[in-house]
Amino acid sequence: MATSSMPGAKFVDPVVLSRIGNLELIAKTVVDGLINGTHRSPFFGASVDFAEHRGYVAGDDIRRVDWRVYARTDKYYIKEFEADSNANFSVLLDVSKSMGFGTRISKLDYAKTLAACLSYLANAQRDRVGLITFDSEVIDHVPASAKHLDVVLHTLDRAKPARPGELVGPLRKLAEHFGRRGIIVVISDFYAEPEEIFHAVGPIVHRGNDVVLFHVMDPQEIDFSFTEASSFEDMESGDQMPIVPTKLAADYKRLVEAHIETLSKKAAQQPVDYMLLNTDMPLDFALFRFLSMRQRLARTR
Amino acid sequence: MSFLTPLFLLGLAALAVPILIHLTQRERKSVVEFPSLMFLRKIPYESVQRRRIRDWLLLALRLAAIALIVTAFARPFLRGSDLAAAPGGARDIVVLLDRSYSMGYGEAWARAQSAAADALSSTTPADRISVVLFADTAEVALRSTPDRSRAIAEIDAATPGPGSTKYGPALKLAGSLLAESLLPRKEVILVSDFQRGGWQPDDTLRMPGGTTVTTAVVDGGQAASLALTPVALLRTREQGQPERVAVTAGVLNRTATAANDVPINLEIDGRIVQDLKISVAPSASASISFSPLTITAPNTRAVVRLGTAGGAAVDGLTRDNTFNFVLTPSAPVPVMAVSAGSADATLYLSRALAIGEAPHFNASMQSPEALAGDALNRARVIFLNDIAIGDAVATRLVTFVEGGGGLLMALGQRASWPSSRAAWLPASIGPTVDRTRGAAARLSGMDYGHAIFEPFRAPRSGDFSTARFYSYRGLTAAKDASVLARFDTGEPALVERTMGRGRVIVYASTLDLNWNDLALKPMFLPFVHQLGRHLSGFKEQPAWLTIGQVLDVDAAEVAAGATSGSAARAAAGRAILTPGGQRRDLAIPAATAGGTTPAAALELTEQGFYEIRSAGREAGPTIVAASNVNITESNLDRMDPNELVASVTGNGPAGSTSGQDVLPDEAQELAQRVWWYLLFAGILLLIAETVIAHRYSRVRT
Repeated sequence: MATSSMPGAKFVDPVVLSRIGNLELIAKTVVDGLINGTHRSPFFGASVDFAEHRGYVAGDDIRRVDWRVYARTDKYYIKEFEADSNANFSVLLDVSKSMGFGTRISKLDYAKTLAACLSYLANAQRDRVGLITFDSEVIDHVPASAKHLDVVLHTLDRAKPARPGELVGPLRKLAEHFGRRGIIVVISDFYAEPEEIFHAVGPIVHRGNDVVLFHVMDPQEIDFSFTEASSFEDMESGDQMPIVPTKLAADYKRLVEAHIETLSKKAAQQPVDYMLLNTDMPLDFALFRFLSMRQRLARTR
Repeated sequence: MSFLTPLFLLGLAALAVPILIHLTQRERKSVVEFPSLMFLRKIPYESVQRRRIRDWLLLALRLAAIALIVTAFARPFLRGSDLAAAPGGARDIVVLLDRSYSMGYGEAWARAQSAAADALSSTTPADRISVVLFADTAEVALRSTPDRSRAIAEIDAATPGPGSTKYGPALKLAGSLLAESLLPRKEVILVSDFQRGGWQPDDTLRMPGGTTVTTAVVDGGQAASLALTPVALLRTREQGQPERVAVTAGVLNRTATAANDVPINLEIDGRIVQDLKISVAPSASASISFSPLTITAPNTRAVVRLGTAGGAAVDGLTRDNTFNFVLTPSAPVPVMAVSAGSADATLYLSRALAIGEAPHFNASMQSPEALAGDALNRARVIFLNDIAIGDAVATRLVTFVEGGGGLLMALGQRASWPSSRAAWLPASIGPTVDRTRGAAARLSGMDYGHAIFEPFRAPRSGDFSTARFYSYRGLTAAKDASVLARFDTGEPALVERTMGRGRVIVYASTLDLNWNDLALKPMFLPFVHQLGRHLSGFKEQPAWLTIGQVLDVDAAEVAAGATSGSAARAAAGRAILTPGGQRRDLAIPAATAGGTTPAAALELTEQGFYEIRSAGREAGPTIVAASNVNITESNLDRMDPNELVASVTGNGPAGSTSGQDVLPDEAQELAQRVWWYLLFAGILLLIAETVIAHRYSRVRT
């Protein structure tokens, strides 16, 4: 294991993690360390919150009677929660060819590790976990279930970047699929116009799902640190462009920053959780930052 | 397009080198896989594009330079036949417009102008137009211009002339114009009434290869009718009376209808002296004689005219309804016969000269002393019969002959010539040869091709061998002299040489009976006449000439009675008054290398009367020459234009030649000069490529 260079913290280097090859072990390593550090997961609080009390009617399960209220009021009240069962936790993983890009670790490997960690964490919370991989079409679909962690991890392990991707079409199809409200995590590099992305995500959000967008990017995609004039080939379309990076880097970075900025703003408006993940960033640190952000947002919402 | 050294074209394979280098460089360039070009595409990548275009520009420059240089070394050249075979391209057009006087018939000329203008309507600015006006001669009115309006203006400005149609000179001129052309298409447009009389088939007359001959037939709209034929003049002279001339005119009717009571009149010096009527049967001719006239003044202008003066013309073709001629009393040739002895010495000579009619000799018998006086200037010919010549007289005689006079020097016992001028005579005079004993000498070996002996050429036309020569002077002919007759011994008897404008003949014997009996023979009289005629340069002058003929002005002056002195003065300057009223100087021909001066000549180009005057106070006689149109032109029988086209193109009536064209040297050189321009362009491209490549490298670093 290697440690991150971030001061005051000790995180697992994603490159080291990627060498393990066993997603379950990786997830366990990351999540256990994370939980040990925080003692309590704030992640699922929002979905099992108390909703209301109602009067007992014949046939109600007496185990759900709130005895504290009975003690105060001498009446039987049934305690109802926002979700009366464990939540569905589904990961939508973009496995298009562009996700295969990476300088130290590919974006897809990073995303797969992230998906495994989140699924492991959710499963530990007794939520049902599921997985959908897609590029321009849905490739693998693992329905959410309490017993599907192994299948999810296995499916993640098999996922390869093979075809050009397209975000809007698959998300629209899947929006109809999520009939039951749950937590939807979308992991992608989001190479599409922000308007199109949120147009596709909108139907899922409107059905009451809690949507989280993980924007995975390689450091070179962000700072464009190429130096030699080369012909750049689009990994998905195969188009080539002769590029002099030194001349275009500034413009490119400005456009990428604008793209990220737009995604953040639109996410806040939906409301959708959005987080940019640089593959250089240790995964547990990324999870920690995200869970912290969720906790902070949960307080304000 | 062909190549002189086509093997050099293999060098075009070098074009692959820059392309291979270009491709190799492209392959070596790294390709970076990148997730998406979404953001990169949004950046204006002008710099990237420009760099690619510049590369392509350099490649194009290199390829073009190599191609041009290789092609230049292959020495391309343009062949005339290749040019002609091209389906399109600029044309070199020669418009041949017939301006003979038959084109003035009816509406023919207006139609000809319209046809020529119509033929040029399809020309483009790339075409070149030449306009040639022709009759019996052809002249270039406009040479190779792209300006169609100029060509049409030239055609509109032209008018039919008095000449007769001759297609040969015009087609030859068109051929020479087109042979110099480098344009891919050549065309001759022939606008004419296609008179049969104007075409004489000529196998040597061919248009350059690829030439298209287009014909435009112009019809005057009326049939030809009457034409005057040349008049016949009958001169009669009675003793003591002036000469009388009877004029007979002929009229030709080419129509199928009879011409009855057509007015015909004779004008003398612009005044109608006789007015008659004539009737001519269809397709026939008739003649009419006017009453004899007494001609007293020389150069009397006479005109026979069909129709009334100032009235309506008898037909649409007016030029052949007038016939001009000149009536001049026969002018005697002044002859001076000089003899030292008694009158008997010149008896035979004087009698012989007195009989002559054509020409009439005005002979004056003189003693040797007269040679020192003015009589010499009044003579045209001098006969010296056995005269001893001193230095002073020799000098005068030399001047006389070189000024245009004729001198016969008959040698006897006394005859001598100063040794200081011995070289001037055509023969050096030797001692007397005595043939009184034994057989007398006889003449043999006459030059019957010479003008003097030409009348005696035919059999039984005079036998000079019958004359016996008992004595004669030995002669040694000069190198440039002509021996016209020899004795049976082979010695020269008659030797001639031209000196300046005149002639001198040395006769080895006498003109009397002292040394020979030639004067008693029948040949003596015509022999003396021929000597006088030849020495004087006399030529019987026609009363009229036809347009296109040349007037021998010197001969005309002699016929008009000019003496040697006046002829010499006239050579100093003559003025011409043309029928059109223009006055110009007659060009004096330059002397040839041998010292002989060609005769002054005047080409007649207008119908009417030419007047030639000598300048100065002591000028020679005035000459008037009548000029008429060619009567054959009035025959409007038409030929098949295809016959003419087939003859000049050699390709049947299709009208286009297909033979190999041989370009003139200059055109060939021009056609092969392409390589030089290609090489120059290639070098320029390489320089441009170097400059641009240098700039690129600076920008990239």
